[in-house]
Amino acid sequence: MSVRFLTWRAPVIGVFTAFMIVPVAATALFSVATRWDRSLWPEGLTLAWWLKVTSRSAFADTLLNSFWVAAVSMLVSLIAVVPAAYLAHTRLPQAKPWLELLSIVPFSLPGVVLALGLIRLYSKLPLPLVNTPNILVAAYVIVTLPFMYRAVMNTLESVDTRSLIEAAQSLGANPLQVLGWVVVPNIAAGIVNGSLLVLSAVFSEFVLANLLIGTRLKTFPIYLVEFTRSDARQASALALMSFVIAWIISLAILWTAARPGRRRQAESPPRSR
Amino acid sequence: MVSGVKRLRFAWIGLAPFLILVLAFEILPILALLVSSLSAKDGPTLSNFGRALTPTTLAAFGNSLQLAIATAFGGTLFGTVVAYAIATSRNSAMRHVMTALANVAANFGGAPLAFAFVITLGSTGFVTILLGCLGIQLYPDFRIYSITGLGIAYLYFQTPLAILLVMPAVAGLRPEWREAAEILGATASQYWRRIALPILAPAISASFFLLFANAFGAYATAWTLTGSDVNLIPVQIAALVRGEVVLDPALADALAILSLLVMALCLIAYQYFARRMRRTA
Repeated sequence: MSVRFLTWRAPVIGVFTAFMIVPVAATALFSVATRWDRSLWPEGLTLAWWLKVTSRSAFADTLLNSFWVAAVSMLVSLIAVVPAAYLAHTRLPQAKPWLELLSIVPFSLPGVVLALGLIRLYSKLPLPLVNTPNILVAAYVIVTLPFMYRAVMNTLESVDTRSLIEAAQSLGANPLQVLGWVVVPNIAAGIVNGSLLVLSAVFSEFVLANLLIGTRLKTFPIYLVEFTRSDARQASALALMSFVIAWIISLAILWTAARPGRRRQAESPPRSR
Repeated sequence: MVSGVKRLRFAWIGLAPFLILVLAFEILPILALLVSSLSAKDGPTLSNFGRALTPTTLAAFGNSLQLAIATAFGGTLFGTVVAYAIATSRNSAMRHVMTALANVAANFGGAPLAFAFVITLGSTGFVTILLGCLGIQLYPDFRIYSITGLGIAYLYFQTPLAILLVMPAVAGLRPEWREAAEILGATASQYWRRIALPILAPAISASFFLLFANAFGAYATAWTLTGSDVNLIPVQIAALVRGEVVLDPALADALAILSLLVMALCLIAYQYFARRMRRTA
């Protein structure tokens, strides 16, 4: 019995692992190859492409732009979602189904459609929105809403917030003390998890950045796409960097995912394709 | 009582940032598209939808549906087999590593992924050369810059996503059920058809619909890999946003609303099956 299992399981897992690893490994090798288009193995190894691409000022600029936009989006998302989820869970149960619905809708909103809608709506208004980073941040908060909301709500639901609040109140804590000393520490795992999901989604996002502000604020993925059309070797170094950044954030997410939240988080569809 | 009312009002104020953001950047943009797609100069109309379905956009719908169905089906099928292999493995270290790998890879996509596939399966790619050495010439019959190539690139993130979705259900298949079936004289195929697959059906269906939506709305990978060579719905809409194609706005909006409708139906189906999955799990 176990022998039969082994014989079919090993090839299946082997094929899957190869499918997942080979493109990334090939990118890594390509970025340090002198020439690799006619032989099975690179003809020589060099760090020239890495040095060249990282020494450009645009490299640091776009990387910084991406981190900056990701950090601001994460902050805005925290400010909007955490209090709303907390209040809906503890005080306003009648609002909860609505928040739930509103935070699922972005899943059915392709990036191109959201971009079209935002441009239609705001290009006519005299607001400092279109073609500025503001609208990009706003769009990112919306597309990452499902992740942040689910992550925070899962922890709120898993830690019996109501009894904790009652206990703190009966011990004489004021509302701010309840929030700062009791609620936030108990849902910290969800907040961190949601924040990391927002960071990773925003950092690799291309569609909205490309359609909403184009060249005004160049993010890292836009920089990478430009290179795929001009210089493949330097592009491969950039691609590997974004893989590694995505790995680090994903592993951090796995690490911080609260146990009750983990299953639902796995059900969340990813984004930025 | 008075303080209670006041507190409740205060609570609603706490929801304000969330509601304002959602209204301004989620609800109103969708409504703007909906209104514009349903209106003509002389009042409400449905004719924009009819006019939006030109041969080009119909072909784009055809391609998008084909790509979404093929990668959702292929990803779910392959993902379920791999998930079963992982879940029934007795090596717990391997199980953890594979789950982490699926988690990480499900988040890949867009430009870096498209580029990795050019390096792997392009005309001078590593796997292309490797297969050439083994006597299999991929090119010119296959091109990574085609819809087939795009499908392979999509499977890279579709398969791990399916694994994550199906894994809880597969892990819930108890070995005793199989033993009981065998004791009662069931063959392996009877066990799968009558017991295992019906239990897995909600998870497999949920995975299919989510993967479908995932592929249908995808743009970055397609754009990096094929530019506008492969005619897909998101590519069409993006071209309209950029102003590359001159068309009256109402038609673009009708196209956007149609794709929104497809996505919404998929996600409703996903939610339905995901809920059934939780109930049986």
